[in-house]
Formats: sequence, structure tokens, C-alpha cells
Amino acid sequence: MSRTLAILAPVTLLIAIWWSVVTFFDIPHFILPAPDRVAGVLFNRLGLISIHATTTALEIICGLLLGSLLGFTVACLIGDSKRLQLITMPALIISQALPVFAIAPILMLWLGYGFASKLAMTTLIVFFPVTASTLSGFRALPSSWETTFRTLRPRRAKLFFLVRLPLAVPYSLAGVRVAASVAPIGAIVGEWVGSSGGLGYLMLHANARGQTDLMFAALVVLCAEALLIWSMTNWLSRRFDQKYADTV
Amino acid sequence: MTKAFEEIPPNDPLLSIDKLNLGYQGQPPLATISWMIQRGQKVVLLGKSGSGKSTLLDTIIRGSSAIQCRTLRVAYLSQQPALLPWLSILDNVLLGFKLRGEKILTQHRERARQLLIDVELPYFKSQKAHQLSGGERSRVAIARALIEDADLVLLDEPFAALDRSTKIQMAKLCKQLLANKTVILVTHDPRDAEDWFNEAMVLTPGGLKGPFDIDHFKNDHALIQTLDGDL
Repeated sequence: MSRTLAILAPVTLLIAIWWSVVTFFDIPHFILPAPDRVAGVLFNRLGLISIHATTTALEIICGLLLGSLLGFTVACLIGDSKRLQLITMPALIISQALPVFAIAPILMLWLGYGFASKLAMTTLIVFFPVTASTLSGFRALPSSWETTFRTLRPRRAKLFFLVRLPLAVPYSLAGVRVAASVAPIGAIVGEWVGSSGGLGYLMLHANARGQTDLMFAALVVLCAEALLIWSMTNWLSRRFDQKYADTV
Repeated sequence: MTKAFEEIPPNDPLLSIDKLNLGYQGQPPLATISWMIQRGQKVVLLGKSGSGKSTLLDTIIRGSSAIQCRTLRVAYLSQQPALLPWLSILDNVLLGFKLRGEKILTQHRERARQLLIDVELPYFKSQKAHQLSGGERSRVAIARALIEDADLVLLDEPFAALDRSTKIQMAKLCKQLLANKTVILVTHDPRDAEDWFNEAMVLTPGGLKGPFDIDHFKNDHALIQTLDGDL
């Protein structure tokens, strides 16, 4: 009950402030539509919005999965070698430092205006947090543990797969949770730069036609979608987390 | 009898340390150490925090040109028992076999079960490590060290995080189970070695001092001063 209240209270407060501002200042609907108008559009054009919402959701989920998989794999490949980390780290940092807006046109040119370019952008955004977190996990082995395991005369590969990798899983999952919150950026930016579907595309079109209420409706759906994907990622990752956390 | 390296002739020692510059690379050494440990010897290594006691154990395990260790079978127990939370207690005891890629035979499992009985944890074999108390986790770590049949056992304040009565219990258990092993116990509290060890070495910036009688040590204020009142 209190959890539901904690979620609903700020949303209700935000809607109340929004409604009050529109009413009090008599703001025209093409500048800031009232919540009831947005709700009306959401209801009346649900079919159109859900088609575009599905496209965006697919881009986000597939990008999140692919980016996480790539990030985890790259971290595993370089995690056991300081030299490899030193060589690859500049490229990894550049992949994150370059604004996705700057490389979006290039990806459009290479991969076209369809699903692939949006997937690539989302994957790119997701990749780095997962790689960086997994690498932190590999470095998190306490020195006394290292000393203890050294006395067991382990094979390097066995130590990696039986100890270091499972211990890095909670860190990796923390990276996936962070990535899930930023993944929509890749999909939406991709849709803005060039696409024929998705909530970003719908917002762009609605903006060009002065349909601010449709823009807001798409934005509300995008927020709900992002929250849902993040919550699902959080729930799934915590189930795995519990198995490998609590180092003793 | 443990003595500084220069004072006694070598007589098949298990561990010989000859002018080891103890410390970290690129930093001035904490101390220069020469030391010999005979088979079956049990010695407490005392010293104030930061004197390099744990670093010395770590260097013995990592190896150095100044150290001659005549066994590969070395066990190490620290404050953190290093148990893997996703493995059962029995699998944690058998971890060394898994890490070396050795096949775990029935006789190994039987030995592990027996060791769990020896460390008074017979009913815990299928439980996970996080379900155990601090003292119980330390017992599992002892069982893991024993199944490796180590000749040299290095204890780095393994019971420091435990309460006094559990500490006494663990010391009794170690005394009994490690009776025929060579043991070095690092601590800054001589009470950890009560009724178990009878000689002590003190690690100071000037090098390794000793051996001292552990009982004598407790009453010698000059030696306590050497540790900068860290006791």
C-alpha cells in the first residue's frame, strides 16, 4: 500500500501542478495541453500510438539485450588481462564520450533508416555501462581472497570461470540496470535522425503539424515504457543478484 | 626453535628468508628480514599495524628470490574466510580440487565430510556459506586448508573479527587440528596465541626480533613499547 502510494503521490502531484499552471495562466493547448486533453488523445489515438510504442519498445529491449551481451563478453575477454584493458580502454571510453547525436547520421548512412540503425545506437549506449561495471567486478576480488586462492594452486581459466566471473555478476547486473535507464535515449535519437516509425518519429511528426497534445501523449507513453523496461530489468537482475552477492 | 637467520645454522628448514626487503614496489622497504622456520614449528608473529606482518605472509605465498620455501603445500587463513556464496559448504571445502581441475573422487568427498565433523560442522555440508555465522565460516576455511594437507599454515589474524569466546574455541580447535603442521600466526594480540604457541617474533622497522617466550612477552613492558603501545 505504502509502495503504491510512494509511486502514485509524485505522479499525482505533477499532474496537479501541470493542470493548475495550464488553468491559472490560461496557456493555449498548442503550447502546453492540459492533462485531460492529453488523456483524450491517448485514448482516441491508442491504435496509432501503440504501433509506434511497440517499435520503440522493440528497439530498446533488443538494444539492451545486445548491448549487455556485448558489454559482458568484451569485459570477460579483457577482464583477466591488465594489458588488454590498457589497450582497449581508450576505444571503450571514446565509444561512450562521442555523443550519440554525432554518430547517428553515420549509422543512418551505413545501416539505413530501419530497425538496424536504432538497434546499433541503443546497443552503443548500453555497451559501456555494462562493460565498465563488469570490469569493476573483476577488480573487486579482495586481496586476501586472491592470496587464499593462490595457495590452492588454481588453473588460471578455472579461477576465472569458477571465482572471478561469478563474483563479477552482481556488478555486471548493476551496469545493466544503469544501462536500462539510458537505453531509450539511443532509440529515440535514432528515430529523430531518420525513421519511419517509433515514438520519436511520432513526436517529430506531431510537432511539425502543431499537434502538441499528441506529442505529449507520445511522451507519456515513452515515460511509461522506459519505467516498465527498467522495472523488469531490475526485477530480473535482482533474482540473479541474490545468488552471487554477499561475499563471505 | 625460531631464531634470526644469522644466529643459527640452517638445519633443513621448511622456510628460509634471507635479507628480504619487505614492502611494496617503488616504496622504501618496511623492514629487511632474515628468518628460518623448522618443520613442525609454531610461531606467533607480532607487530604493530602497518609493520608488514600480512605483507610478509603475502610475500611468502607469492614467492621471492630471497625466500626458499621447501613445500608447495601452503595454506592461508585470513579474517575473510573466502567462501563462495553460491557453493555448498562441502563444495567450498573441495574448492582446491575444482580450481586445479582435478577430479573429485569419493575418497575426497569422504575426507571433506570427515573434516567437517572434525571442525564440528557435521550437519552443515549442504548449506550455503552465507547461512553460517562468522565462527562457522572460519571452521569451513580451516577444513578447506586441512583437506589440502598443507605443510605450512599461515594464519593472518583469522579470528580477529570473532567474539572472545568464539576466538578461544577456534584457537583450541586449531591447536588440535594443526598439531603436526608448521604454523605462523600473525596477530597484534598475544592472547590469540595463548596455550597454543610458546614463542613469538616481533616485526619492527629494524627487522625481525626474537624469538621470545610468549609468556615472558606478555609481561615485558619494554617489548610492548617496541610495538608502540599497539596492544
